[in-house]
Amino acid sequence: MALRELKVCLLGDTGVGKSSIVWRFVEDSFDPNINPTIGASFMTKTVQYQNELHKFLIWDTAGQERFRALAPMYYRGSAAAIIVYDITKEESFQTLKNWVKELRQHGPPNIVVAIAGNKCDLSDAREVPEKDAKDYADSIHAIFVETSAKHAININEVFIEISKRIPVVDAAGGTSGKAFKLGRQASESRRTCC
Amino acid sequence: MALQGPEEMVEEPEDLDDQDASSISPAEEITLPPGPGGEDEPEEALLLPWDRFSTWLHCICVVGFDLELGQAVEVIYPHHSKLSEKEKTSICYLSFPDSNSGCLGDTQFCFRFRQVSNRKSSLGCFLETNDRDAPPCLKREQGHYYGYVYFRQVRDKSLKRGYFQKSLVLISKLPYVTFFHSLLKIMAPEYFEKQEPCLEAACNDIDRWPTPHPGRILTLPIMGVVIKIRIPTCYDKPGTSQLVQSAQSDSQVSIVLPTIHEVDLFRCFYPVFFHIQMLWELVLLGEALVVMAPSPAESSDTVLALVSCISPLRFCSDFRPYFTIHDSEFKEYTTRTQAPPSVILGVTNPFFAKTLQHWPHIIRIGDMKQAGEMAKQMKVKKLKNLKTLDSKPGVYTAYKPYLNKDEEIIKQLQKGVQQKRPSAAQNAILRRYFLELTQSFMIPLERYVASLMPLQKSISPWKSPPQLRPFIQQDFMKTLEKAGPQLTSRLKGDWIGLYRNFLKSANFDGWFRNRRREMTQKLEALHLEALCEEDLQQRVQQHSEVETVDLVLKLKDKLTQAEREQLPVRPGTVAKLRAHIEAVILALPEDLQGILHKPSTP
Repeated sequence: MALRELKVCLLGDTGVGKSSIVWRFVEDSFDPNINPTIGASFMTKTVQYQNELHKFLIWDTAGQERFRALAPMYYRGSAAAIIVYDITKEESFQTLKNWVKELRQHGPPNIVVAIAGNKCDLSDAREVPEKDAKDYADSIHAIFVETSAKHAININEVFIEISKRIPVVDAAGGTSGKAFKLGRQASESRRTCC
Repeated sequence: MALQGPEEMVEEPEDLDDQDASSISPAEEITLPPGPGGEDEPEEALLLPWDRFSTWLHCICVVGFDLELGQAVEVIYPHHSKLSEKEKTSICYLSFPDSNSGCLGDTQFCFRFRQVSNRKSSLGCFLETNDRDAPPCLKREQGHYYGYVYFRQVRDKSLKRGYFQKSLVLISKLPYVTFFHSLLKIMAPEYFEKQEPCLEAACNDIDRWPTPHPGRILTLPIMGVVIKIRIPTCYDKPGTSQLVQSAQSDSQVSIVLPTIHEVDLFRCFYPVFFHIQMLWELVLLGEALVVMAPSPAESSDTVLALVSCISPLRFCSDFRPYFTIHDSEFKEYTTRTQAPPSVILGVTNPFFAKTLQHWPHIIRIGDMKQAGEMAKQMKVKKLKNLKTLDSKPGVYTAYKPYLNKDEEIIKQLQKGVQQKRPSAAQNAILRRYFLELTQSFMIPLERYVASLMPLQKSISPWKSPPQLRPFIQQDFMKTLEKAGPQLTSRLKGDWIGLYRNFLKSANFDGWFRNRRREMTQKLEALHLEALCEEDLQQRVQQHSEVETVDLVLKLKDKLTQAEREQLPVRPGTVAKLRAHIEAVILALPEDLQGILHKPSTP
């Protein structure tokens, strides 16, 4: 089975729950008192998608302003970006739009963008209507889901949707894209598509 | 979540994550031999913040230029790292090119300096475990630090000095040159642009790395990129176990480093490659040797290449890839009142041409960037010719090699140059040549030393373990007639003379000490195993209570030693010994049992 390494970064305002989403996805756990991330933290998880293994190399970036300038290191070479906002904080949705702009200008040309409206368990305090966010996501052809890291809602789904949108390996080149085979052979040739 | 249809996601099997078999060569198939301490996961769980960082680096320094103060350490990260003033001064001077060599742009080099104060690491025991499986030349430094430098010098009119000059320096006890240079190549350019948050992020990444354990494939995320390396073990067949990159991968995503420590020997020796065999002898014998190069990058590369050409033998004298007149050992090493010390220095300051004029062996290297043409210096030059600063590149020495020159390798490399053989292939040829030469030289010594081991039957469980027989030079020399290097090398010459001189060198001393320690531990281990096979109950019945107590105490001592020194015993031996002790104690009267069950005080 072919194994593809997919670099994925998480972007978004401080405190929206980027790290919690990653923890839920990788460790299936939730800690309400998580420390603010420094720089970025790194985790991996491999999942099967059709007849491939997708190894997500996840860079969970710091939302704090002082680390803002470091972001390009993390979205550079990324196959996908998950931009997270907090449905109870209108401001975080504005920040998200700035991230989309930055990615369009400086990000990899074919990066898959997923928008995650986190903390959907707190709908009483909602400030961002789901429809507004959905319309915006559609307008930029991004994946959209509302998630709750706390209650494990839609977390795996984000990554499934990303897997679906990752360009398929072309048949002609055998394994191309960022794929390579799981096996002993070290001399497997591969090319980068796009 | 629903697991249906072809698009289902499946939790990966536990161990899949760490095995990118695709990008990993047969190296992965090499597993550590079972032994005590082989699994350190529980230990790793006990590591505190910054412990992981400390297993890789002592600290990171930023060295800048202050118009009034000169070079100064601007930042030390993490902030709690300890460096003495003397060490800071060394780092300052060694992190900048010391002559106006016009290093415009980015330059990478490395230096090595003496550790001033003895810092006890709380990780000591843990590091030893990690180090035990490393090959001799990759073990952690004891009394020195390496400094790996990324120096940037660019014109900047907004600055008073007219130039931006800054170095990012990694201070470490690990000799992983290639790895740290690759790491700096990722870190430094980002740092110069984005300043301190960048260092904070990088250190935070490093503090979550797995510890540098030989033999494992290590995945090291750093600033948006994943570096994969494998630290070789002493059980690897030299020259075989390297990580191989399956194909070009996206370097913005992950990088596989085929080696963590090997420098490009061919590139480094290119300017003097007619003399490689002589240089090998000089390094082997620990002769005082100085490399005069136009820049720190070239001096440090060449010194590291020299030191590594006797691999897998560890170079046991001091060596300084980049040495300046400000170095704290400057006086000690340049004095004319004593014979030049057994060290290898790399220098760039023209001042040294005069200061070290009396040194017996001098390598002068020109600008490697212009090394398009073939090195022409066929003949070794007389030392008296080295008077002026602009002497031509070459080797200046009166040394007469013990071994006859191997024309084959020179021809082979020359042919490669003519045919434009890739540098990596030339490097591989040269590396193999040195390896075979060193092995041919060492095999007779290995064989002789192995014969000093007492016979298995002389090990008696009830006597102390037998001693190793002493190394007698004459005896060893006698073995050379029949089983000398002529068995594995076609080179002729005065091998005997070479051995005689080698036996006086620090390299021999270091090698022999290491062997003797290993063999003594082996004897202790065999003795312990023999003891475990005995029927202790029966013995106890035949002896008095006092003798039994004495036995228990002795066995407990043995147990402590086995654990402390991690003796290479068969698996299960330690557990068996523990059971034996327990059984013997239980056979004693109750009051004694209570006393003997107390944990022994160290």
